[in-house]
Amino acid sequence: MKNKIIIPILILLSIIIGGYIAIAKINSSVQNNEFSIKNGSWAVNPNMDLKNSYQRAYISRIGVFALDEKEVLYFLSSKDNDGNQLTSDFDYQIIGSPPKGRYWSYTLYGKDYFLVNNEANTYTINKENLDRDKPILISSTKKNNNWLPSGNEKQFHITLRIYNPDENVYKNLQSLDLPIIKKIEK
Amino acid sequence: MKKIFFYLWILLIMSVCSYNLTIHYIPNIVYGVFHNKIEKNQGIGDNEIKHFDIPNYKSRAVVMPNPDFLYSVSFYDLSSGDLKLKGNMPDSTYWSVSFYKPNTINWYVKNDKEFNSNRLELNLTINNTKGENIIHSPVKKGLMIIRILVENKDQNSIDYYKSLQKSITIN
Repeated sequence: MKNKIIIPILILLSIIIGGYIAIAKINSSVQNNEFSIKNGSWAVNPNMDLKNSYQRAYISRIGVFALDEKEVLYFLSSKDNDGNQLTSDFDYQIIGSPPKGRYWSYTLYGKDYFLVNNEANTYTINKENLDRDKPILISSTKKNNNWLPSGNEKQFHITLRIYNPDENVYKNLQSLDLPIIKKIEK
Repeated sequence: MKKIFFYLWILLIMSVCSYNLTIHYIPNIVYGVFHNKIEKNQGIGDNEIKHFDIPNYKSRAVVMPNPDFLYSVSFYDLSSGDLKLKGNMPDSTYWSVSFYKPNTINWYVKNDKEFNSNRLELNLTINNTKGENIIHSPVKKGLMIIRILVENKDQNSIDYYKSLQKSITIN
């Protein structure tokens, strides 16, 4: 009789404990960009064709249904070049050029990895809509050119996508000259 | 006392199993949730295609949507036979066809430069059929995503790409 109660309780407890630890560990790996190559404030996952179930769980948390690395490289940054968390409390400028490829874009996502509500309905600065004579500005307040709105996000991150990158880009992901995200006066 | 240690030992072993199962099946759970959302919110079943608008802040079905793209999505099921994918695609912008397993692995992707024309014609099969434009799926059920890049967001461009997107069919 006693076993009839204890066994279901043990099963339930183990599901809760194991599940909780698994999700917490994945979230911590996501926070630390554990499986990424780091270059400045950017982190890139060079291998999306993951055979390891832990890495698959990790990718499904941050970029489910992403394309494989031959098609697109995803560079993620949640920090400025001084290592501080990106926040809509400050303005930032993206300085430098993205790595060479067929198409590139900077997209701003909130802490929850979704697009951020903003008055301009602008979510991306890309190869086509960039005004090459002006800097790219990340700000919660309206800018005239190359404005990437940060809305009211206390924490956000930028994803730089390179479609069909040049072969050379893969060779030195760690030392590649990447743009920097610099805090500027609001 | 001995029994308590025994139960704790059992709890530890089962928790480790539960941990490994959770890690292993997180991608499948994410896939399942997305499948249910599409089925429930968009009213489309397997082997039907849903053409989505350009994502915005309200798009919350999948994390990190790319706001430069029109997406067409279909959950395929090859249990009842092969599927034909057809459509007129753009000739001057990036587009790609990709397939995913239920554990979210991207097992196939081909872009406009790799196709010979802007007329999309593919046969998706699980059999050993040979021939042109045949794609062998490693799984009976999976996900297909077609991406069309909309470089300029003026209404004419959007309408043009949407009209092409609507030409894509699966049956």
